[in-house]
Amino acid sequence: MNQTADEIQTFHGGCPHDCPDTCSMQFKVQDGKLIGVRGNPDHPITQGGLCVKLKDYEKRHYHPDRLLYPLKRTGPKGSKQFKRISWDEALDEISTKWKDIIASDGPHAIMPNSYLGNQGLVHGLNGGDAFFNRMGATVCERTFCGEGSCTAWLLTVGPTAGVDPESFCHSKYIVIWACNSVSTNLHHWRIISEAQKNGAKVVVIDSYASKTAKEADWHIAPKPGTDGALAMAMINVIISEGLQDQDYIDNYTVGYAELTERAKTRTPEWAEEITGIPAEDIRRFAREYATTPPAAIRLGVALERTYGGSQAIRAATCLPALIGAWRHVGGGALQFPVWEHPYKFDVICRPDLIPEGTPVVNNLQLGRVLTGETKLETPIKSMMVWNTNPITQAPETDKIIKGLEREDLFLVVAEHFISDTAAYADILLPAAMGAEMEDMILSWGHLYLTYNTKCIEPPGEAKPNNEIFRQLAKRMGYEEENFRWSDTECLENYVDWDSPTCEGIDLAYMREHGFARLKDFGDKDVRARHAKGEFPTPTGKCHFLVEGATNFVAGPFRQMYEGFQPGEALDSLPDYLASRETPDTNSQLAAKYPLNIISPKSHGFLNSCYANVEDKIKRQGEQFVLINELDAIARGVKEGDQVRVFNDRGAFEGVAKISEDVNSGIIVATLGYWRQLNNGTVNCISSAEFGDMGHSTTFSDNLVEVSLA
Amino acid sequence: MATLVTDNCQRCRFTECVTACPVSAFRAGEEMLFIDPDTCVDCGACIPKCPVQAIYEDLDLPEHLNEWIEINERRSKIMPKITNKEPPYVGADDRKASLGF
Repeated sequence: MNQTADEIQTFHGGCPHDCPDTCSMQFKVQDGKLIGVRGNPDHPITQGGLCVKLKDYEKRHYHPDRLLYPLKRTGPKGSKQFKRISWDEALDEISTKWKDIIASDGPHAIMPNSYLGNQGLVHGLNGGDAFFNRMGATVCERTFCGEGSCTAWLLTVGPTAGVDPESFCHSKYIVIWACNSVSTNLHHWRIISEAQKNGAKVVVIDSYASKTAKEADWHIAPKPGTDGALAMAMINVIISEGLQDQDYIDNYTVGYAELTERAKTRTPEWAEEITGIPAEDIRRFAREYATTPPAAIRLGVALERTYGGSQAIRAATCLPALIGAWRHVGGGALQFPVWEHPYKFDVICRPDLIPEGTPVVNNLQLGRVLTGETKLETPIKSMMVWNTNPITQAPETDKIIKGLEREDLFLVVAEHFISDTAAYADILLPAAMGAEMEDMILSWGHLYLTYNTKCIEPPGEAKPNNEIFRQLAKRMGYEEENFRWSDTECLENYVDWDSPTCEGIDLAYMREHGFARLKDFGDKDVRARHAKGEFPTPTGKCHFLVEGATNFVAGPFRQMYEGFQPGEALDSLPDYLASRETPDTNSQLAAKYPLNIISPKSHGFLNSCYANVEDKIKRQGEQFVLINELDAIARGVKEGDQVRVFNDRGAFEGVAKISEDVNSGIIVATLGYWRQLNNGTVNCISSAEFGDMGHSTTFSDNLVEVSLA
Repeated sequence: MATLVTDNCQRCRFTECVTACPVSAFRAGEEMLFIDPDTCVDCGACIPKCPVQAIYEDLDLPEHLNEWIEINERRSKIMPKITNKEPPYVGADDRKASLGF
């Protein structure tokens, strides 16, 4: 008998987490076990390094709390009392129940609920869309993160990848607008930091001193939700001081005259009143930005998280065209480059299967939907949740729990752990994790395709999401070919391999190399995507002015369904649109709840992933509440005190950290902590009202009060 | 809480690690490198770069090396940043061999 251990084998991996970096990894496997991971040293973005979350990814695979078998609830909802059942029993029960509901109430009484807990093309966000579209279930609009930004970006410049994130190495003036890159876009930060070493000025705009803001040459801290005023005042300064690139504007933009007229009254003094930033600083910022080419703006997701957030993004997206920044390599703006990736969302989601008149609900308003506060023609009787954890991630948490406690709601969850949401499942299915399933991982932060090898078996009886849907489809009698495709066949069909951008790339290539740069993007040192306009808009130009625009949510975030889009008329021009909840805009509410709260991502967690892992909690620290000394003194709060943060929607607790990183009037508490391990979570206080576009979140548009717990 | 450099680095300073750091957290001491714990983001990218296993995450630190937590905290605050690879010390290869690598 051979006593020596097997050799260590290396496989290509792709990080499936909800992060723009989509790292290419190397999986190290020995004796059928994942023994380590490292960043792919050959990948120009990953550059051999991972992050605090991923560096010991293997441990998450072997976490003792992993779900290994299908479970059926035996105790009250949320009690986490389950018994083990077989897959056949679980799938039979689910399909029987769904058939019953379809017979009695119709398919609209069932809804899916997923998000980017996995970014795989096969097992991720859209993995179950074809199944539920075929069922005719209520469509779930999923707008946790970036959907307002998408709407604003698409209206202004169309589905362009924008400036190549790697071309930032050539930029001389870099604006990171509402993104804590060091914690949430680390591999882009590395490129920016190289540029900074080479003399680029890095400006970070953020309402508090994030890790990234502390690395900046200049940190500008507008009051939460006032970025639109800052952007409009920059437009005012650029135009009134003649800093615009008139030739670029004349040839490649629409609506300059109207924008000029709109911006006329948006002076730096006007913006100072709103943002709290001195008018002279706004002038200096606009001048520097306009006169230091190449200038690049990294638009962060957080910018959209107030009522007027998407209008702010529209204003900021106008800036590069106004000064002709797009002419230069390393000039322009970066939102989500996924727009130019060759994914066939219509094949993945099969919107052609959606019956006419299928209703839509939005998963930010899940609590309202499940409790009946949102009036639906057919109330929801069953929901399946995978790749998301609404109890920590969605707003108005207490309402969601009330909904999930409903005895007549049949809840199916596919998960790795008994998450806060999984605790309420009637049937809980064990889902496979990264290295246990084949996939390609989409990126919303770079220009590469990324392959992930199945290199180990799932533990116990865990199954990949797509296998769960294949088996459910069989039981439901869905015979479309999608539901018979293996994961490999899905990849063959989900990527537009015949498109010019995939020239020389196929699945075999991906398997061999792990990643591939899309061909359309050319050389990061040469390419200036919009040097001559060529925006993918109806006119080919950048639209300061969009006539007749109506509100919409981009297809991939609503199962590619076009029915029941929000549809309300939008302002034809960008502008500042005030938040709903600030002391300046809602003094009555502020009399009760005087503080604005910002709830960024935790450095040590990836949303709620890893917030149940002991080492990651040690690294991240317990839930904290960052508070300015003035606000702390006023409330008798001392460093380290346990405090309660609350408003009419709910409450959570954390440890007070008194800090100058946050201005008076604002508190910061990061997201992801599990409710079952803490007293409430941040989103207990968050409003489920939408922002101005794309049904975006309003996580930074909430007033609260703080007291000693 | 952070990643830190321990005594194996002394008189080696291969400095491959500094090229892996996305946040420029390394500081150049005279005989060895240090990591500024307030800058380090715990990504761990530097750890496999070290040919003499001098770099540890504090959570994995062998107990007999505990003193290096405080030494990194203190020394990193007064030494200059190092972000580019430099030639190792003369005799670094001998030192590496003597450490058993």
